[in-house]
Amino acid sequence: MSINFKQIEEKLKSEATKLLEEGKVGVVLAYGKGYDENHPLPFVARKASDVENIVFNEYCTANMARYIVRYPRGTKIAIAVKAADSRAVIQLIQEDKVKREDLVILGIPAYGMKNAKTGEVVDSKTTCGMYNPVIYDTLLGEEVHGQSVVSPYDVLAEYEAMDKEARWAFWKKELDKCIRCYACRKACPMCYCDPCFIDQNKPKWGEKSPESHGNLMYHLTRFHHLAGRCIDCGECSRACPVDIPLYLFHKKVAKDCEEMFGQAAGMSIEDKPALVNFRVEDSDKILE
Amino acid sequence: MSRIGVFVCHCGLNIAKTVRVSELAQFASTLPDVVVAKDYKFMCSTPGQEMIANDIKEHKLDRVIVTACSPLMHEQTFRKVLENAGLNKYLVTIVNIREQVSWVTHDIEEGTAKAKAVLNGAVYRARLLAPLTSRVIDVNPDVMVIGGGIAGIQAALELANTGKKVYLVEKNSTIGGHMAQFDKTFPTLDCSACILTPKMDAVLQHKNITMMTYSEISEVKGYVGNFDITVKQKARYVDHSKCNACLACTEKCPGKGVSEWDEGLVKRKAIYIPFPQAVPQKPVIDREACTYFIKGKCKLCQKVCEQKAIDFEQEDSFSTVKVGAVIVATGYDLMNTKPLVQYGYGKYPGVYSALEVERLFNSAGPTGGKVTMRDGKEPQAIAIMHCIGSRDKNNYEHCSRVCCMYSLKFAHLFKEKTSADVYQFYIDMRAAGKGYEEFYNRIIEEDVKFIRGKGARVAESVDEPGRLIVEAEDTITGKFIQLPVDMVVLSPAMIPRSDSKDIARLLNLSTDKYGFFMERHPKLAPLSTMSEGIFIAGVCQSPKDIPDTVAQANGAAAEALTIVVKDKMELEATTAMVNPASCCACQNCVRVCPYGAPFFNDQKGVSEINEALCKGCGLCASVCPTSAIIARHFTNDQVLAEIEGLMEF
Repeated sequence: MSINFKQIEEKLKSEATKLLEEGKVGVVLAYGKGYDENHPLPFVARKASDVENIVFNEYCTANMARYIVRYPRGTKIAIAVKAADSRAVIQLIQEDKVKREDLVILGIPAYGMKNAKTGEVVDSKTTCGMYNPVIYDTLLGEEVHGQSVVSPYDVLAEYEAMDKEARWAFWKKELDKCIRCYACRKACPMCYCDPCFIDQNKPKWGEKSPESHGNLMYHLTRFHHLAGRCIDCGECSRACPVDIPLYLFHKKVAKDCEEMFGQAAGMSIEDKPALVNFRVEDSDKILE
Repeated sequence: MSRIGVFVCHCGLNIAKTVRVSELAQFASTLPDVVVAKDYKFMCSTPGQEMIANDIKEHKLDRVIVTACSPLMHEQTFRKVLENAGLNKYLVTIVNIREQVSWVTHDIEEGTAKAKAVLNGAVYRARLLAPLTSRVIDVNPDVMVIGGGIAGIQAALELANTGKKVYLVEKNSTIGGHMAQFDKTFPTLDCSACILTPKMDAVLQHKNITMMTYSEISEVKGYVGNFDITVKQKARYVDHSKCNACLACTEKCPGKGVSEWDEGLVKRKAIYIPFPQAVPQKPVIDREACTYFIKGKCKLCQKVCEQKAIDFEQEDSFSTVKVGAVIVATGYDLMNTKPLVQYGYGKYPGVYSALEVERLFNSAGPTGGKVTMRDGKEPQAIAIMHCIGSRDKNNYEHCSRVCCMYSLKFAHLFKEKTSADVYQFYIDMRAAGKGYEEFYNRIIEEDVKFIRGKGARVAESVDEPGRLIVEAEDTITGKFIQLPVDMVVLSPAMIPRSDSKDIARLLNLSTDKYGFFMERHPKLAPLSTMSEGIFIAGVCQSPKDIPDTVAQANGAAAEALTIVVKDKMELEATTAMVNPASCCACQNCVRVCPYGAPFFNDQKGVSEINEALCKGCGLCASVCPTSAIIARHFTNDQVLAEIEGLMEF
């Protein structure tokens, strides 16, 4: 069985038309035409006539959950989500950024998505590696079964084998490349702070020009702010123009959080964000 | 530009021993904005305080830094000095160079260098301090006492007698606690029940005391002066408003439960009152033992109850109580000695734990006050073994304080009630208390044998089956002895209640490594805790005897009164506030606050803080990803400046 992208696109269009015509939602967050087929763009359909511009193909990697927080609370939103994107939606619901009843979730089961920049297949190396959305109202295709499931943390083996010095050198080298375009922050569904700490002047938490210290301050704090919240969609790394493997750090933190608090980000609306939820039985490992 | 005065205290030699204080003052005078720097032997003394006050006037100081002991000791003292000199009291900074520097450093070079670093940080921070205004709040005049043992009873009565309304919360179905189980009390040997039950009854009768038995606290909100405490009333399955205490139900009940009051030595009914003088004198149903709850059939009690008070449908109920202060008197458990297999408790029927022996002596106990063992025989030789689990590095290092004395009491009662030989195996004899040494001497004369050496093992006798052998080293003669006895009494360590950690979490108390509640200061604030408005009394703080417990209870009542006697009180101005322009509505602050101060304003889409509830702990500020929360007195700028000052060294 392979994914029939065209069929999903048709279903997406018909669902979007129906929802908009019936007035059930104000906006549909999906994908639209880019300058060529390999570069679809995030797209918002506001009326039924917008729907014809919706596309869906293997290059539609963007996480549309990113755009939920742009709309005022209470806006009725339909959103097309793949597996990781659905986890972002759940995480946003947990954080009370959006209410479940304000969302119509159009789930897309998919594999074999491709990185528009490199043409490589996007898999568990850079994402959570899941195939089916965790939460949805309508599933726009058949659930994917039979594909091999690989732990999203396997890719960490090589990194975890490094000693402290090697890790430091690795990240120093990678983060020194950063040109502070903030594409990672723009692509991230969980980076909704306005203002971002790094843009603040009083206190000035870090240097704003692209230099070693400021880069470290920005990225390390961002990693920390995403601890227990990153749903491993890998968009930050795909958005990065200088190819910093941000997903590696996020995966490492996610793994630690999962081990310590027994929950992965964005897997259940019932969960509470791990780092701001106190439970008596929580591990004290973090204090050691 | 600010004008800072730095005042370095020697604290006698406490600080001066490991910090060169004059060098520190000299160093301070070179720091930015410091216009005067002095050292003095005792800054907290009247001349010291006057020196600061004069310098404030003379040098027109607008910031004062006192490098001395912990702010817990004298922050209030120096705040007063500033206030009297016309400065805002929040402009004084205490730099703790005693507990955090001199007491934890041996080397004078190291100590001086560290003192300079922390002082440098403090100067950097002091320059950014802002004057603050304290808040005044209304105080609820009522008090809650948690725990209905002798400590809780005493504290509740004292407070109620001053006219204050008291809520006495007890998790068992009766008040009385451990003292109700005792037969006699040392050293006077007066009957425990005879002195306790009048107090229990006084609680019942007192119009100012609301007794909440069979209840536990389940949630605590608020702060000193205004606590909102949710109390869980466990289902009794008996409507106490209807029950007339005829106790017909307890006669008919076929259920069998384990009598907690008799330390499990006998069975009791499933619907029961724990003991004849229980207060309230009304039964509860033990779900675990009740035939109806086990098999779904029976309800005999319901049939015989003329008052129709039995209600099997009853559920746990919750109520919220508002009080201004809380006294915690949750008492103790005895250590379970079963894991100490060398003493054979639970294995040999002749081995008893101290509280079980109390019940054997008691005329209301399982044997009617006769000392007979589990096999019905009277013991001929008895070994009382001290310090089981306490004064023991492998278990509890503390001395349980009462075992020496109750062991002497046991010896006396054994001598009185049996013809047995009584042996005491002890490490040291501790009889420090009024009349205690005299009691010890009296017992020596009663032909009790004292063997100085901790009992090492209890084994079954090979020669005389059914008898026990106690092995120990007599440290006076240096000989290893094996003593055949019929009965062994273990004096287990007194340890905190198994749920003391839960209570600590609910009330924000700190505990020591074993779970005893920590006092604010071991000498000068033994009944206060780090949570303002919450006081501790009795063994929940550390092992102690009845006289000390009662004294503490009276003290805690007086402490609580200092709060609830006023209608209004001043609260620290160091609260947090939200800058709405920077709030990203993540609501982390709402989730982490232990006091429920931040709340989300749905209309504005930002968090706000109820300053009346804020304790200024700063948790919200630290989890705020956009620094929208400003913790007054510890703003990001102030803290970062202090860190910068520290990092220069």
